[in-house]
Amino acid sequence: MTPQDREHIGEYVLGLLDGSEAQDFEARLASEPELAAAVAKLRAQLQSLDDTAGELPVDPALWQRIAARLDVPGDEQVQPAPLRPANDNRWTRRLGMAASILVALAVGYLTGTNLTTSRQPVMIAVLLTEDGSEPGAIVEAFADDTIRLVPLDLTARPADRVYQVWTLPDPETGPVSMGIFDDPATLSLSGPDLPPPEPGQLYEITLEPSGGSPTGRPTGPILVKGFAKSPL
Amino acid sequence: MLCTMKPHTAPEDLIPQIASGERTALAQLFEAESGRLLAVAQRILRRRDLAEEVIQEVFLAVWRNAASFDRTKGTARGWLTVMTRNRALNLLRDGARMDYKDGETLAELGDRTADVRAAFDALSARDALRHCLEALDASKREAVLLCYVTGLNHGEAAATMRVPLGTIKSWVRRGVVALQECLA
Repeated sequence: MTPQDREHIGEYVLGLLDGSEAQDFEARLASEPELAAAVAKLRAQLQSLDDTAGELPVDPALWQRIAARLDVPGDEQVQPAPLRPANDNRWTRRLGMAASILVALAVGYLTGTNLTTSRQPVMIAVLLTEDGSEPGAIVEAFADDTIRLVPLDLTARPADRVYQVWTLPDPETGPVSMGIFDDPATLSLSGPDLPPPEPGQLYEITLEPSGGSPTGRPTGPILVKGFAKSPL
Repeated sequence: MLCTMKPHTAPEDLIPQIASGERTALAQLFEAESGRLLAVAQRILRRRDLAEEVIQEVFLAVWRNAASFDRTKGTARGWLTVMTRNRALNLLRDGARMDYKDGETLAELGDRTADVRAAFDALSARDALRHCLEALDASKREAVLLCYVTGLNHGEAAATMRVPLGTIKSWVRRGVVALQECLA
């Protein structure tokens, strides 16, 4: 554990790492148990500070509101779960950009889809290139843990690399692989059993070694990413 | 529903029941933990409506993701605290949601320094955390606590403490490293 690791652990637990730093750090947490244990330890030690907030009386109506929503999968009022970085506004900006591109693309795109299939995606994400300027792929996510991926513009892959699709259902679960592919064409992928996709859920495509990421978490460069929205 | 008296069950034992779809287990967890989590969220957000929104999201997330809780990696209390803190910080960083009517900035909303001192004073004298926080320089201690207890980011902490951004960053870094070494 280097002093720099200690700094990152502390800043991460305090919610101070910015977007790419937090993402890199979470990728390390997934593959370095010692680091993850140090994060868990610091969190547990700081718990007594949270406890100094005491307890507030809870309005019984709050439970009623929760109970009323337990049967509504992918409820739109649920906020995206990943921790928004302290000093990073890029996400909000990109989400706005993604939304506007989404409108432009999805209208014509969905119209076409309706003619050929009766399956309706519950969420759609337009994945943008890292600088947020170009749509690189469209993900349609269905309620049965499958996605339909439509590549639009993906960086060519080296011969020893494959494309791998990821989603982040929530930060506690961490990134989950939806599958790998080597030929950028429209395709269907079937992911593991996950909660229904929610608005704001992150989807991304990374370049990984042949056979997929050796760690089960993204290790290679992110080519495109975007947040899910429910179709109107 | 919440008035039903049930024998106390540890959160660790409620979560598997929640994962298998038992609503009464979720209601019990809510009854046991919501007051504490609401206080954590409200200290960060300072608005009751937003704090309640956070609690609502946390319990809906518990309902949907209870199966992802791994008791070998920490306590259920800790899991709930982290979810609550993350969601409260998300709202806090999402400027659009924090549109205080009279245009106050967050740093002007009450005295965050006072919140931090109250939190520190409330720590038990026997708590190793208190001992290790006391061992820090006052400025580093306050910088770390402003970020953790009240959820300020570097910039807001710098404004509150009236020092340059670089100074806050270095205080926080050195503070968290010293804290971990002391607590080791």
